[in-house]
Amino acid sequence: MENDIILEFKDVTKKFPGVVALNDVSFKIRRGEIHGICGENGAGKSTLMKILSGVYPKNTYEGSVLYNGEELRLGERAIQEAGSKGIAIVYQELTLVPTMSVGENVYLGREPLERGSIDWNKLYADTRGILEKYQLDVPPQAMVKSLGVGKMQMVEIAKALSEDAKVLILDEPTSALSEAEIDRLMDILKTLKKNGITCIYITHKLEELFRITDKITVMRDGKEIVTKPTMEFTQESLVSYMVGREMKERFPKAKRLPGEVIFKVENLKALDPDDASRGVLNGVSFEVRKGEILGIAGLMGAGRTELVMTLFGEYAKIVDGKITLNGKEIKPTSARQAINAGLSLVPEDRKGMGLILIQSILKNISLPNLDQFSGFFRIDADAELRASLTQSKSLTIKAPSLESTVETLSGGNQQKVVISKWLLSKPSVLIMDDPTRGIDVGAKYEIYKLMNELAEKGVAIIMISSDLEEVLGMSDRVMVMCRGHSTETLPVAEATVERVMTLATGVSSDEKLMKAN
Amino acid sequence: MDTTNQNALKKEGFLSELYGVLRLNIQTYTILLALIGIWGIFFFTTGGTYLASQNVSNLFRQMSVTAFLAAGMVLVIVIGGIDLSVGKLAGFVSVVAAYFQAHIWFEYLPDQPLLAAALTVVVSLLVGALFGALQGYIIAYLRVPSFIVTLGGQWLLNGLILLVTAGKTIPANQPWFSDIAQGYVPVTWGWILGLVAIAFLFWSMFNSRQSKQKHGFALRNIYIDLLATGFAALIILIYVYNVNSYKGIQNPVLLLAVTAMIMIYLANNTRFGRYAYAIGGNREAARLSGINIPRMTFNIFVLMGFLSGVGGIVLASYVGYGTIAAGAGYELDAIASCILGGTSTLGGIGTIQGAMIGALIIASLSTGLQMMNVAPAWQYVLKAIVLVLAVLADVYFKKKG
Repeated sequence: MENDIILEFKDVTKKFPGVVALNDVSFKIRRGEIHGICGENGAGKSTLMKILSGVYPKNTYEGSVLYNGEELRLGERAIQEAGSKGIAIVYQELTLVPTMSVGENVYLGREPLERGSIDWNKLYADTRGILEKYQLDVPPQAMVKSLGVGKMQMVEIAKALSEDAKVLILDEPTSALSEAEIDRLMDILKTLKKNGITCIYITHKLEELFRITDKITVMRDGKEIVTKPTMEFTQESLVSYMVGREMKERFPKAKRLPGEVIFKVENLKALDPDDASRGVLNGVSFEVRKGEILGIAGLMGAGRTELVMTLFGEYAKIVDGKITLNGKEIKPTSARQAINAGLSLVPEDRKGMGLILIQSILKNISLPNLDQFSGFFRIDADAELRASLTQSKSLTIKAPSLESTVETLSGGNQQKVVISKWLLSKPSVLIMDDPTRGIDVGAKYEIYKLMNELAEKGVAIIMISSDLEEVLGMSDRVMVMCRGHSTETLPVAEATVERVMTLATGVSSDEKLMKAN
Repeated sequence: MDTTNQNALKKEGFLSELYGVLRLNIQTYTILLALIGIWGIFFFTTGGTYLASQNVSNLFRQMSVTAFLAAGMVLVIVIGGIDLSVGKLAGFVSVVAAYFQAHIWFEYLPDQPLLAAALTVVVSLLVGALFGALQGYIIAYLRVPSFIVTLGGQWLLNGLILLVTAGKTIPANQPWFSDIAQGYVPVTWGWILGLVAIAFLFWSMFNSRQSKQKHGFALRNIYIDLLATGFAALIILIYVYNVNSYKGIQNPVLLLAVTAMIMIYLANNTRFGRYAYAIGGNREAARLSGINIPRMTFNIFVLMGFLSGVGGIVLASYVGYGTIAAGAGYELDAIASCILGGTSTLGGIGTIQGAMIGALIIASLSTGLQMMNVAPAWQYVLKAIVLVLAVLADVYFKKKG
């Protein structure tokens, strides 16, 4: 029954400068099913969905997408076209206007008019109709910002359904949800299915795939690896489909001899600063030795960035636990305290948090270290120059001069500026949050070499990365985080991709829980 | 760092390098050209009297109150804030200064004019800094947007001015106090100061070249540096010559020059300045670099208040009394001076030097139009056009560059 296929991808290829994001992807989605798509970060899931929802219009990719048997040709106003054809997407980052009511958000840009003015009664009545039909438990007149993340997501879904969506794409819908909210979402998806709506469910949480989907497509490195009914997968086979590739020689190897423990975190607990009812860190323990690289692995939303920002005194309020650095207990409540104690942080978002793009390399490097060159009144320009120059030379930053503004540099060189800035503060522990994100292969290799050199000099490095290969390739030990707590810390020899993924997806802890029950 | 780059620069001719420097700093030069253009136009339309020594003297004195405010405002805008209260704060300080002279010191220290003037200055500066501290505390630590806090501050000050003056004009004309803004630097001293300033300009130019050379940075052609410094020196000479043939450099202008130099130093050569520009450039990165943003914000508003105090003293001393209308609208002139001088409303960018030139442009326009007897209605229209055109040119060149 060919017309049972609502969507078909045929040889879809999408290239970005230097990267093939999608490589010859072909598979079909049946009407009325919940179709799961999974894969590691960067596997191409989100790119595929952006093609479907019109973010990348027809002429920007190769191959074709058939919708109800006809080719989907989205042109100039592709996102609106996709919407009007019945394809709607619920993004990872919610796209609601927080200061408007639920009804206003649902009908934003399509407000029902009555002789030129908005017919508020109809707007709220229609909103209520949709909410009730799909059993979404949200009051239509409530202000969106007063709702929790779970309810906001319901509003997003209602918004999509109000446009008469036939296909609903959910991109990592549970990354910010609590367990109860996830249960609620699963119920909603079942209701949608009953009403004949096709759902594409993108996630890398295996348990959710097994719980809700009818079919699963596994993607890896921009390719479709396998598509088959959920029943035919096991946890293990799914993981091996997701990661099944060999390690290449991407990482410079180094012989390291870690020294004594220099940094120790015990049972750290902290609350979400925006929502004190939610714990972001629910018990994290680990230790790092001098001259060691500790990798932190985990999925998106596992709390890795939250952990390092909290250690740096700039995120969540610590409610429990103990942090010891150089034998002294520290309680960082600001970046300045953390820096003075001997921590440095290369943050995740290089442009947003690491650099002042409109300023020179020199000023960026010296910014956190000005107390080294100045008293209260005067910055010793000579000393500042000397120190920054030494630093930039040893990291081989490629730029016309130290006076070039940082915004003119390539991603790799920008990252070197961030690292220079933090090395100048002579840290005992260097925290690097996704240090090679968005930079090219050559620059990555240089940063890996630099990390090895630093470790040899006795710096303890904590590295977070969303690239699991990188974590395994660079670390001496790997700590795996899942839902805000540390699961296990493995020596790198024991840390196989499968083992880490199993820990990160929380499968083993679920089993433990089940046994405990 | 890159030696090939250096050599390439050396090989190029003087003229093409000069062109390159001009292009690179086109924003700075557009504003200077605008100033010279305005002076030129008024010079011809007034038949030369516009640049006569008495008028030049007036021009610089007229800009001084706004310029004190603008010097602080640059940093406020650089960290991403705004201060709408500075005009009224200067006004309030001028009224307080008048009140203390007329009612307090006159009663308790009737025969000690110097002490009375000194105490007036101290009280005035304290009032300015304290009011800045109050606003700064609410902005930095209670996190109320500066726009709102300082708008409220403006209203509050209006009320305070009415309370202190009770609606009447208070004289502020003690001899020592009046000298602050009405006095002149003796002619010989004027020349000495001018020459010292010129010597300083050349010294700092050679100093900076030497430091660059030591660290292997590309040096600009020495003639370009000499040309630029020589031009600045020439301006100083002309100015000193011009005002000395009237009565000499006015005290408030000297005070302004010193204040501006301190502020320039603060902005460029201290941690305080660096941190301010870092906060405006990227708040998050600044925070993660260990900068205490609330404390910096507080300090900058205290400094702004202090400078408003200085402005208020000059205002009271110059006009000779405190009135209910004192300082009205000065905050907008100060903000306009900053914007004209290249301060970005988005924060992170702006120089004290630029704001000083901006203040001079605004004063030049006002005096010129008044001399030409242009009706006040048209004065506003022309000022509006110049302000918007100047910023438009800036936007245009930024896009091109």
